[in-house]
Amino acid sequence: MSILHTDEQKQIGEGALRFVQDNYSGTNLKELLEATGRYDEAYWQACRDMGWAALAVPEQYGGLGLGLIEFNIVAEAVGRAVAGAPFLLTSYAASQAILLAGDESVRSEVLPLLASGEKIGALAFAESADPVPADLTVKLASDRITGVKRAVLGGARADIAVTLASRDDKAALVLVDLNQKSVTRELLSTYDNSRGFADIVFADAPARLLTDVDADKIAWDVLDRVAVALAAEQAGGADVCMEMARDYANTRHAFGQPIGKFQAIKHRISEMYVANQIAKANCLEAALAFTSGSPHATSLAAAARISAIKAYDFAAREGIQIFGGIGATWESDMHLHMRRARSSAAVFGSRFIWEDRLVAELEAKR
Amino acid sequence: MSSDLLHELEEYRLAARLWLKQYAATFGIEARRRLSVDEDLELGRRWMAVKHQHGYSGISMPKRFGGSGLSQLHQAVFTQEEMAFNFPTVYFSISLGQPVPIMMHYAPEEVSKKFILPALRGEQIWAQLFSEPSGGSDLAGLRTRAVRDGDHWILSGQKLWTSWAQYADYAVIVARHDASLPKHKGLTYFWLDMRTPGVTVRPVKLADGTEDVNEVFFDDVRIPDSQRLGNVGDGFAVAMHTTIIERYSAGADETGYGPELDLFMAQASRSRLGGARALDDGRVRESIADAYRLQQGLVTMRSKAFLSAANGEEPGAEGSIHKLVSARSRQKLSELALDLEGPGAIYTAGAKPKENWVASWLAAPTGRIAGGTDEILLNIIAEKVLGLPQDYRPDKGVPFDRM
Repeated sequence: MSILHTDEQKQIGEGALRFVQDNYSGTNLKELLEATGRYDEAYWQACRDMGWAALAVPEQYGGLGLGLIEFNIVAEAVGRAVAGAPFLLTSYAASQAILLAGDESVRSEVLPLLASGEKIGALAFAESADPVPADLTVKLASDRITGVKRAVLGGARADIAVTLASRDDKAALVLVDLNQKSVTRELLSTYDNSRGFADIVFADAPARLLTDVDADKIAWDVLDRVAVALAAEQAGGADVCMEMARDYANTRHAFGQPIGKFQAIKHRISEMYVANQIAKANCLEAALAFTSGSPHATSLAAAARISAIKAYDFAAREGIQIFGGIGATWESDMHLHMRRARSSAAVFGSRFIWEDRLVAELEAKR
Repeated sequence: MSSDLLHELEEYRLAARLWLKQYAATFGIEARRRLSVDEDLELGRRWMAVKHQHGYSGISMPKRFGGSGLSQLHQAVFTQEEMAFNFPTVYFSISLGQPVPIMMHYAPEEVSKKFILPALRGEQIWAQLFSEPSGGSDLAGLRTRAVRDGDHWILSGQKLWTSWAQYADYAVIVARHDASLPKHKGLTYFWLDMRTPGVTVRPVKLADGTEDVNEVFFDDVRIPDSQRLGNVGDGFAVAMHTTIIERYSAGADETGYGPELDLFMAQASRSRLGGARALDDGRVRESIADAYRLQQGLVTMRSKAFLSAANGEEPGAEGSIHKLVSARSRQKLSELALDLEGPGAIYTAGAKPKENWVASWLAAPTGRIAGGTDEILLNIIAEKVLGLPQDYRPDKGVPFDRM
């Protein structure tokens, strides 16, 4: 295991980049933006065909047995495409939750379905902006849950959700089949519609207990890994914004010269590059930390998450500024990034949450 | 991946660490704390002698010049390890980092041989006379003149920001030999004895009270043509060669040579804000999170660049990113530490920026200017990495004396 990518990892990256470049432009995403609950079916099919859904699932459960490093490589590529479905990430999240919280029977039953893409997974932890609520309103009693989970990423389409509920005031992680009568989804029309956000209403729905021991700690362990994968996606998007701004600054002329000659423009693009490099470095180090079991994994995950949020926000916001008026039109792809930067920043805990988590972790290690 | 080289470097690192440890008490920060600058320099000279005796001074220099003949990566590994001990090496870092390698490349071998060994042992110090009042970021704008006089040159003008010139025995210098040529073309590179008549060194007191840098005046200083390095008119190219020699930013410190983040956390645990620990304040937490993620990102980028170099790849812009990010971050964190400490923050002259927030804060502006300003670094990233155009340069190709 090394900080430099192996030949196999490079191949995964090149394959993913080529696929994304050949197949994706912003055009199809704009249609999805104007519809509630729709997503890019062909893209999700491709994720299955390319084996990406199987990437980080252990081999004994039908996966490819690779880790977060390889998943990051793919996530960065699909982040570049502002991919029109979140299921690669949400199924990864669900599989990690099952690996960390589930016993052998649930693993061997469910993980192969997630690896093949036959089922789509999601995480239903949050009930508001807090990714792991202390005062859970979704209740578990006699293996049935009741309550509402708000704005579940991929909830519009997911088949199963690893759900955080409370039983006798104690947190538990349960696995719930979302395709049953006692579960309803309320599709949300958001500013980033292809992410399939939905409120999920459980009305005495049968649920399978994964664990009720340290469930909220495990929920955070899952989120640490998801934060890194999402950060890699965000970094990919941030890189595209930087590249678009750079290419535009090299060709657009004003006042008799390419606008990239003006330091107000070129320095901002350099700043984007620097922020993106920092974010990608932290993503890599965090992925290595989880793979090697480093005690700094949580801190590094938070570092990756915060860096990626800031980098993508900055690149999208200032990228539009460099394009000027044309960057603020529907036709430009820049607003796709602005939307995705924000929706990715808000899901699974905002920057504030991760800053608190990071500092708490640093303090505990002092 | 050249795993043999990596393995060798790791062994070298461990051996160096073990070796360095035994000198911590004699040459480390505790021994240095109460020393004057002159005493500290003397301690530094002793340290360099010990290092050279054990093959740790001039690690990447060829053996025939008194070096150890190892790679630049070995040098980088040793410098990283040595930095942790806070030994008095600062007086020699420029000397051995730039002028001495340049001498090795451009001076006749018998001349280099005479000078390199004493420099490696810390007996002699070399300075680099580059920046001037009118040529800092725009080095090629320098005005110090070199006028040919038979087989001699006569130097006149002024240099500025020359580190450790007050202790330097020798120096390398870039001067303008022909003002009728465009600015990059009219420069020539020399070396000289700092005791040559007409050389005057005057320390410049910086904002933090230190006098590490100097202004150096040249009043008709005569030097023989044999002390020219490179061809007449190649001065700028030789100066730029320095940056190639220095390809691997050996001892880069992720804190920007300021205090460790842990010192800030300690301060934030002690200070109170609104009746609670400052450490519990969201603004303070954001600042800590930012410093941590930036430092960690730089650590990873440096390791990655190091391994790539061991693989034989050319280094990228990591050095520029490193300095840009770490120097700014240190300045911000130092400001905040003083906010937390309140107006009574104690500063005594001689306090070290790595240990003291006031010292770190007072010297922070220099960190963002020396060795490439933030703005120059952003230009380098934009132009060399991203392929953005150069700024508008109305002086390009124009004879220097018509600008």
